[in-house]
This record gives sequence, structure tokens and C-alpha cells, in this order.
Amino acid sequence: MTDLMLLAPEITIVVTGLVVLLAGLFMSTPSKKILAYFSTLGCIIALVLTINSLGTSATLFSGTLGINALSQFFKLVFLTVTLLVSIASIKYTEGNSHTEEFYTLVLFATFGMMMVASAEDLMVLFVAFELASLATYALAGFEKQNPRSLEAAMKYFIAGALSGALLLLGISFVYGASGTTNISAVAQNADLLMSSPMGLLSVVLLIAGFGFKIALVPFHMWAPDTYQGSPSVVSALLAAGSKKMGFVAAFKVFIVALIGLQADWTIAFAILAVITMTYGNVVALSQTSVKRMLAYSSLAQAGYISMAFVVLTPMALTGGILYALSHGFMKAGAFIATAAVVYMVFKDDKKSEIPDHIDNFKGLGKRMPITALSLTIFVFALAGIPPTAGFVSKFILFSSTIESGFVWLAVIAIINSAISLYYYARVVKYMYFIPAEGERVSEPAPYVVALLIAVFGVLAIGFWPEPFVQMAMNAADVLI
Amino acid sequence: MIPLNCYLGLSAIIFAIGLYGLISQSNGIRILMRVELMLNSANINFVAFSSYNDDLTGQVFVLFSIALAAAEAVIGFAILISIYRMHDSIDLSKLNLLRW
Repeated sequence: MTDLMLLAPEITIVVTGLVVLLAGLFMSTPSKKILAYFSTLGCIIALVLTINSLGTSATLFSGTLGINALSQFFKLVFLTVTLLVSIASIKYTEGNSHTEEFYTLVLFATFGMMMVASAEDLMVLFVAFELASLATYALAGFEKQNPRSLEAAMKYFIAGALSGALLLLGISFVYGASGTTNISAVAQNADLLMSSPMGLLSVVLLIAGFGFKIALVPFHMWAPDTYQGSPSVVSALLAAGSKKMGFVAAFKVFIVALIGLQADWTIAFAILAVITMTYGNVVALSQTSVKRMLAYSSLAQAGYISMAFVVLTPMALTGGILYALSHGFMKAGAFIATAAVVYMVFKDDKKSEIPDHIDNFKGLGKRMPITALSLTIFVFALAGIPPTAGFVSKFILFSSTIESGFVWLAVIAIINSAISLYYYARVVKYMYFIPAEGERVSEPAPYVVALLIAVFGVLAIGFWPEPFVQMAMNAADVLI
Repeated sequence: MIPLNCYLGLSAIIFAIGLYGLISQSNGIRILMRVELMLNSANINFVAFSSYNDDLTGQVFVLFSIALAAAEAVIGFAILISIYRMHDSIDLSKLNLLRW
């Protein structure tokens, strides 16, 4: 029984999802709004339960699930992102007859991500990984009448299926060489993996498999299309939640299980990190769709977090893990701000083909002041300007990189941050320095609440980083 | 007894066929079939290792992965049906609205 209490956040999420799905069958479309509030409540309860269990550590179900600082920290990331998405979607799903399906899929995807964070066995990790992926494929294609949303879903599905197959093959070689699927037992059998060619093969396959999920160049081609085409609230879940799931899974598999093959995969991650951040930032410069620009900036951020794999000191991992939380707030907030703009554009013109075009952000400071101000804070945080979450996490990550002697890597990352400021500042220029073309629009309350929570998170980590850094350090201790 | 490397070779060939098909085909259903091939090649690996290591974990893993492959196919076909209703075709090379 005490074991089950440790899984209370997961159980809350699943039960909420099932109740929402069943209750939706018997409700009329206008009354389905209550389901959205119910799901939000479920997320809040799960979040409180997770915060309560931050200090505990335990192993459940014959060593297949582990509760520790790392898993609880990432559950916090996933639940805050889901909370933001779920609040913002109250407006997005308003009047939609499929509200219950939307919320159930969001909650099940979150459940999958939380299980990945807890998994101590490659089998559990793979099943949970697929659960989260399957739910998000369906979410990306949620707008069934919108050809862009369907195209986004199909591209995401093909990339995701390929990534799943590569992961499965990689795990099969790890199992073949080490004779077990338990993550800590694989680490103990490291010499078996190192003496066999299957070890290297599995590293290659697993980097490709996780690379698709994390969207590292050259495995990124689905990401800009999917983030642009899917509904903005779903893009927020994908960029801020699903990507972090890829990171926590990669942390567990590479840094814990395959630490014996460290020499092979650090080189690969160094090359991938440099290509990813450079490509993401350079291509983002020329984008006219804001969602697509955020997608490329998301690639760049994944490149920064991947530096933690190269440096591999406790401090660098702290930076990477803290970056995951900050990126969750910043990116989810930025996509939700775009969702508010898309809502405004559709109010004027139902047929608009690219509602997130940068021209629609002209004079947003006058038309939607709260959205514009929050988006300004998010893009400056993404660029790493103090006093925001982005600055604190970049500072820890880059300074630990320099301390460990990887000066060239830190220099490339800092140059990239400077490049990124150009396209972030361009959005701010459009919002405040180009005159508005329309009337002031009243901002829907759900978007405003979600944006303010995200702004609060970004500024809280920026002004008062100690408790968050401490939490990230505890999480990093689990890995190394 | 057939040596382990024969199974690994078979699985590698099947995986390569699947990967080649995934890249070269544009018909939605063929792509879903190639995905199944790739997942099953990994399953062959698991069963072969399970038998040669005398450990049942691999076979349990295969049961999970078969169930997941079925669920994945369901989602894939659901998206394909929506695309068919929209475009009257399942030729995925016609999906080219999103590009830079």
C-alpha cells in the first residue's frame, strides 16, 4: 500500500484521464467545458502530490520503477507543462465536441512521460516512451479538418515510428550483450558491452532513436513541420514536455546504463550538439512563421542541453537538468502566447492560412498587451538575458563547460546565443515598434492565466534560483 | 543448432528492407508495413538473444512490443483515414504544405 502511495501523482493523472473520457460520453458539447476544469484540477493535485514527495527515494515493483530526486524533478517539469497546456486549452477546446478526447490524450501522454522519468528497466522505459508518443501523434492531428494539422501528424508519426524501431533494436542489442534489461544491472555488466561489437552498435541505434525524439540535427526534419502544423497548445506540449521526456530517457540510458561506453557517445553528442545549435539558430533567422521560428529555436535549445552529455560533470548535468525546467516554462509559454495570437487572427479572418505569420504580430503590444509582454519575457529568457530562468540555466551550463576545459564548446554555444538574439528581438520589434493594424482584442482569461503562471515560473527561477538549483543538483547526484 | 549470428543477420536484413522502404515509398499503407517490418526485426533479435542467453525477459519484451506495434498501426491508420478524407488519396508525397 505504501508503494502505491508513492505513485499517487501517476494514479491521479490516469484516473482523471479515464473519468474525463467516460464522462464525456454522456455530456452535451457546451457542458464539456467542465471536463477541461476537471482535468486542470487533476493536474494541480498531481503537482502538489509530486512536490510533497520531492525528498523520497524508493524502488518499486521488483526494481522496475524508481522514485528519486531525478524522477521527481522531471515529473515536476512534465506536470507544470501539462498544467499550462491544460489551462490554455480550456479556451482552445471551447465548443469542440471532442474535448474529452483531447484532455484524455494530454493526460495519458503526461502519464507516459512520468513513467519514463521513473523507469529503471528498459522494458518499462520503452513501453512508457511509446505511450507518450502514441498519444501525441493523435494530438498533433487533432484538427481533422485542417490539412496542415494532418500533415504535421503524419510526419510526426513516421519519424516517431522510425525512432521507436531504432530504439527497440538498440535495446535488443543492449539486452543481447549484457543479458538483462534492468538499467543498473546493465551498468554493472559494462565490460560485457564493451567487449562486444553489439555495444557500439546499440550506442549508434540509441543515439538515433533518442535523437529523433529530442530533435537533434540530422534527426530533426519532422520537428519544424510538426510544431508549425499542430495546434499551438499541442506544440507547447511537444516542445516543452515530449522533448524533455527524450532527455530524461537519454540521461538514464546513456549516463547510467551505458556509462562504460562513455568514450564513444560523448564524441557523438559533442558533434551533434554543435551541429544542432548552429543549424537551429541559423535557419531560425529567416523564418516568417513564428511557430516555425520557435521550433528551430527549440532545436537550438536541445543542442545546448546536449552539452551536458559531453561535459558530464555534476555541475554540467545540474545545468542541463535546470535548463529542462526553464525551457519547459519558456517554450510552453511562448507557444501559448502564439495560441492567443492565432485565436485573435481567426476571430478577424476565419480563412487565414498561416495564422502565426510574423505580420500578425504587428502592434501586438497595443492589441493584446498581456500576451505581448509575456511573449517578450519568454523570448528574452530563451535568448538568455538576465534576470530570467534562461540566463541562470545557461550560466550554470556554460560556466561548468568552461571549468571542465571544453572552452571551444562554450565559445560556440555563446556565439550561438548571440545569433539567436537577432530573431528573438525581431519578434519584439514587430510587437512594439510597428504600428497596429487592428483594434484592441480582449484576451481570453485561460490564455492569460497560463501565460502569467509561465511568466511567474520564468522570473522565479531568474530572481531566486537557489532552491531550483539545489533540486537540480540532487537530481544530478542520482545520475553521477 | 543454428548459430546466433544467422538470426542477427536475418534481423539486420529485414531491418534494412524496412528502412529502405520507409525512405523510398510514398504510399501510406506501404510505409506502415515497413514500420512493422522494422519492429519485427527487433523482435527476432530479442527472441534469439532470449534463447541463447537462457533468459525469459526477451520473450516478455517481444509480447509488449507486438502489442505496441498494433497500437502504433491503429494510430497510423487513423491519421491515414483522416488524410484520405481530406485529399482523396493516401499518397504522402502530396503532403507538402509545410516547408521552409
